[in-house]
Amino acid sequence: MELKNNLKEVRQQKGLTQEELATNVGVSRQTIISIERYRYKPSLELAMKIAIKLDINTEKLFYFE
Amino acid sequence: MILSKKETSILIEIIFSILFLIIFLPFFYANQKTSFTIGDLSKKIIEIIIFTVAYFSITYTFLEVYFKNNIVEDERNDMINSKSYKLGYLLYELSLFVFIGLLINSSIDFNGGVIFFILLLTLVVSLIKSIYQFYLHRTI
Repeated sequence: MELKNNLKEVRQQKGLTQEELATNVGVSRQTIISIERYRYKPSLELAMKIAIKLDINTEKLFYFE
Repeated sequence: MILSKKETSILIEIIFSILFLIIFLPFFYANQKTSFTIGDLSKKIIEIIIFTVAYFSITYTFLEVYFKNNIVEDERNDMINSKSYKLGYLLYELSLFVFIGLLINSSIDFNGGVIFFILLLTLVVSLIKSIYQFYLHRTI
């Protein structure tokens, strides 16, 4: 089982750029890029911050496949 | 290839290590058998300190001027730093054992040879750590 996410799709639906989302949750743009490419698994705190910012449940944004 | 500010600063660190190797190591390599006097050594150490201070001043002024935004330190950076510094620490420990082993075997001469070996190990370890850090920034 691998942790995946819908971050890119949800972010684009909300009309946010990687830079804007990164600034809003207090991380670098590279971190958002890495999460979207499944290279980096965020901490629970960061995952929840992103989910809150995108107004979506954490378990809908991040899932196991 | 577009590099972030963090990656650029790591690259500059790598260039500095290589420059340091090129500038100072040949001197100590050529003088491995030399027994330095305190006067000679302090002259060389002052030279190294001046070089290091000049390097840091120029590099960080360049980074501040060139990049308007500050480097955002986040959990990914912390993870990459902890991985690369762990590798650096292990390599320093290993090189310490190698150094002690060589001293016991008397494979290196004291003074010039010792300084050369210490500088070489320090710079090689720091170079490997920085390259690994750069690699992690590019791949994670």
